Amino acid sequence: MPVRPGTFVLLVVATVGLVVWLTTFDSDDNSRLLRVLVASSLSEVTSDLADAWTETLSSEKSVSVELLAGGSNHLVAQLRDGAPADAFLTADPDLLNDLTAAGLTLGIREAGLAHNHLVVARPALGPTRSPTELHDPSLVLVACAPEVPCGGSAVARFGDLPVDSFEASARAVVTRLALDEADLGIAYATDVNSHPDLVPAWPQEPVCPCVSYAAVALSTAGNSFVAFLASNRARSILTSHGFPVGPPQ
Amino acid sequence: MTGTGLRGAPRSVVTVAAAAVLLLALPVLALVQRAPWSGLTTLLTRREVVDALGVSLVVSLLAAVIVLVLGTPLAWMLARVDLPLRRLVRALVLLPMVLPPVVGGTALLFALGRRGLFGQWLDRWFDLTLPFTTAGAVVAATFVALPFYVVTVEGALRTSGEDLEQVASTLGAGPVAVLRRVTLPRLLPAMGAGLALAWARALGEFGATITFAGNLPGRTRTLPLATFQALESDPEAAIALSLVLLAVSLAVLVPTRDRWLPTR
Repeated sequence: MPVRPGTFVLLVVATVGLVVWLTTFDSDDNSRLLRVLVASSLSEVTSDLADAWTETLSSEKSVSVELLAGGSNHLVAQLRDGAPADAFLTADPDLLNDLTAAGLTLGIREAGLAHNHLVVARPALGPTRSPTELHDPSLVLVACAPEVPCGGSAVARFGDLPVDSFEASARAVVTRLALDEADLGIAYATDVNSHPDLVPAWPQEPVCPCVSYAAVALSTAGNSFVAFLASNRARSILTSHGFPVGPPQ
Repeated sequence: MTGTGLRGAPRSVVTVAAAAVLLLALPVLALVQRAPWSGLTTLLTRREVVDALGVSLVVSLLAAVIVLVLGTPLAWMLARVDLPLRRLVRALVLLPMVLPPVVGGTALLFALGRRGLFGQWLDRWFDLTLPFTTAGAVVAATFVALPFYVVTVEGALRTSGEDLEQVASTLGAGPVAVLRRVTLPRLLPAMGAGLALAWARALGEFGATITFAGNLPGRTRTLPLATFQALESDPEAAIALSLVLLAVSLAVLVPTRDRWLPTR
């Protein structure tokens, strides 16, 4: 069967049209979707926070919240490159300056939202460890890359360690330990406490609130969400997930 | 190669083909345009870049050797032997080409990780763990690169036919002699092309490596991993690293392209 030239032209035009249409796909429906980019260690608590926030809205304004979790630096890179977002929750408040420098307009900011600290963790089923083993090169030790906040804190807290893999986010460290592929990992206390397969490698005092989370709104819709994060309701949700709130100690 | 001049081609086809070339060429052009040319040598001689380049070369070359050793018999089997379930075997061989590399890396972790299906025995019997080692990065690179070699060599074996081999065996050559003196010599160009492709794929491997082998400078952080890391903190360095990968890939592809696909 011969193909008529018209068919081909039609196909080309239809394809180009479809692609152009796809680029405008959700921009007309922004009011119903709130996009939140969130540091990986905050992903579960933020989903609870988002639920609580949507409950505070009047019923005719039904908004669904879309979370994108990752390493804070990775998220900043995405924002710099124009990723659509209404709010950004980060483990490194300094990163907000990067956003301003990149020319993004920032709305409401909420610094010192909650805190977290690092613990050395091990797989729950693995053998117990002692602090000296942190420097044992024969053990598999994973930590966050120094570029991400949990990695920066780890270097500040523990110095030079025989790390076997630098992970892209706090949550990636947790996964390595949960799969029992690593013997020790430097992770956030909240992640270790909430994960059934992880335990602190030895009893550890919370040394400092090494990480202070900050939130920033990137749109009007984001303003409402970030303002909610300072509310008592939000603080009690954060506390229930093990995040200390209030001024840094 | 034969063909009509550009004038002979229908204009509509030329237009759309040009659009396709543009789609592929624009990102490359943009990368070259954004390159920090003046500071390039300083960027490329930095410790972490040199380390990443070293790891990449070791990993991709070792992967290429393994691909050659494992892939040649496999390609020959697929082309020459009436395997039971040949379609299934070929689908399995092609899988890493279409599978997202991260999925490949996860699968490798569950197979060869310390608690993996087979990895636990490697760990228990030989005290051998692949994740977080350069060997693990080699395994990941081999996994994604092998199909490119097998497909190329199998295709060449099929197009070259079996006539000469049959003649040789009629003349009294045993199967091994046929393989060694007839099949392999004629296959060399395709093997070279397939190897170059597989090597380039191994060099560019990212997803399976970071998932399976982790990310440690000097051990498992290859050029693509270093690029990913740099993109977040030092975009200039990321572009410089990308240029290296681009240059190497082009150097491999430009001479092999015509051998890769059978052109008459």
